[in-house]
Amino acid sequence: MTDTKVTKVEEDSVQTVRGPENDTTYLPDVDIREDDGSIRVFADMPGVDQNTVSVTVEKNVLTVEGEARVDTPEGYRLVGQEYGVGRYRRDFTLSDAVDPDGIKARVRHGVLELTLPKREHVKTRKVEIEA
Amino acid sequence: MFELMRWPRSTWSVFDELEALQEDANRAFSGYGRRGRSWRRRGSYPLLNVWSSKEGVVLDAEMPGVDPKDVDISVMGDELTLRGRVNTAEPAEGETVHRRERPSGEFVRRLQLPFRADASGVKANYRNGVLRVSVPRSEEEKPKRIAIEAS
Repeated sequence: MTDTKVTKVEEDSVQTVRGPENDTTYLPDVDIREDDGSIRVFADMPGVDQNTVSVTVEKNVLTVEGEARVDTPEGYRLVGQEYGVGRYRRDFTLSDAVDPDGIKARVRHGVLELTLPKREHVKTRKVEIEA
Repeated sequence: MFELMRWPRSTWSVFDELEALQEDANRAFSGYGRRGRSWRRRGSYPLLNVWSSKEGVVLDAEMPGVDPKDVDISVMGDELTLRGRVNTAEPAEGETVHRRERPSGEFVRRLQLPFRADASGVKANYRNGVLRVSVPRSEEEKPKRIAIEAS
């Protein structure tokens, strides 16, 4: 049985970027997994919810963006900071294997989960062997 | 920069000291690349932002995708400990992993507070992947106004 090697999601790198308003854009960490029918992308974007995330596809570039918000506790002073709060952005190049119209996205606990369905013809098909 | 003098302890810098007591669960956090969040470079998880007032301390811990059941918060004396696991689910049958950047494994993070805490007053909530813990000072440790009697 031939196993079609599918080139998947490749990403264009976006390093930590300072925007024109001088706020920082972070690159979210991602896990990418593939099974027979789809490719799944999990992007860590703590502080975002479904209202502050956007997923767009233009030509074959998938762009994921988000904005984190923090409620500064009132009456308190910041005394230690290990992470910044700002925007997230990461771009991915989609191969032809992915059907961009079927992309599904959901956000839960600060993680954006994308399901990228593979086009029918690239799914591994079992070939029946005739007797 | 906020510093708290405590005798005989030296100045309190939030992330001091207890970094040395970090358990080596951080070995579980492998990863490649120079991009992404600084938890990997720093070697500690979760990353924390800490606020302080005379009432106590509030800390935010970035822990996206964690099940709150898998996190244990404990406060004893002047020490706060966060312990838990993140992204420990195995890939499903028939799934290939192409990229793995997100943290995974067990973690322990201890924070030394500049006061003894009122453990019964600790509150925590988890929203959008950020765990916020507020730890009040124990009553005896709250600054008190001293009235100056007229002589």
